[in-house]
Amino acid sequence: MKDVLAWYIAGPLIGLIVPLLLLLREKQFGVSSSYRFIGSKFFKKIDYFNYKSGKDKWQFHFALGLVFAGVFSIYSGGFQIDAELQESTKYAEIARTIYSADNILFFFFGGIVIGFGARYANGCTAGHCIMGVSQFSLSSIVSTVCFFIGGLFASLVLIPLLF
Amino acid sequence: MKFVLTLLLGFLFGSILIATQAYSWFRIQEMFHFDSFHMYGVLFSAIATAALSLFIIKKFKIKTISGQKVVLEPKKLEWKANIIGGLLFGIGWGLTGACSAPLYVLMGMHYKIGISLFLGAMTGVVLFGLVDKKIPK
Repeated sequence: MKDVLAWYIAGPLIGLIVPLLLLLREKQFGVSSSYRFIGSKFFKKIDYFNYKSGKDKWQFHFALGLVFAGVFSIYSGGFQIDAELQESTKYAEIARTIYSADNILFFFFGGIVIGFGARYANGCTAGHCIMGVSQFSLSSIVSTVCFFIGGLFASLVLIPLLF
Repeated sequence: MKFVLTLLLGFLFGSILIATQAYSWFRIQEMFHFDSFHMYGVLFSAIATAALSLFIIKKFKIKTISGQKVVLEPKKLEWKANIIGGLLFGIGWGLTGACSAPLYVLMGMHYKIGISLFLGAMTGVVLFGLVDKKIPK
């Protein structure tokens, strides 16, 4: 894989989003509360979504920025998925199957587990792994360890079983 | 104004994720197979930078843009929720190669995959909303 921004530049830049959000927007870095915010627009009848959603509104705007970054990358030549599929890494064969158009259901069901898990654990890679662990919060350390155990299980056991 | 600022910060975050390929299914597989240090480097250095920034903010009592004290609210420890929810989220991450932020990035990059993931995630969140009060925390 070519032209990757080195981890020692990308990591610190991502880390700097934390103080930027805190100082400029008075918000704690996180992404997955945006799902709850979006849910609150459609499912007010469910208690979980009938909450003071205003506090999570910024996260929805933050998420919009993420989507725009994705769109922009296509026009700036950063769209890499198809290029990666042409390469012959050891995962390429599985990736071609997974990324094929017929596999929308795979991503849909994967998404269900991501959404359910993120809200159950009360955070994701952003809120727990980066924001929470940098505060040495026990809840976030426990969650982050479990993210990795779950990920290892999926990647090393489930994927070979499924494909 | 706040909206534009938040949008820009999201755009910045997304662009870094793209440049360092954190949205890539390959990068996530590499990480869980311990084939490359790249993603670990990204995560560890992001955490270290965030922790150092928080330390500096506390040490020098840096105020926010509106002159407020920086107040951090740590997430509440809920053993069962953190463990079970964490494991489920991790499984979704390992399978699809996407977590919450790259999921949004993918919506912009590859609408078929991104929107499938997003609709899935929303379904998962609604399911969680339905059982929230009944599951162990």
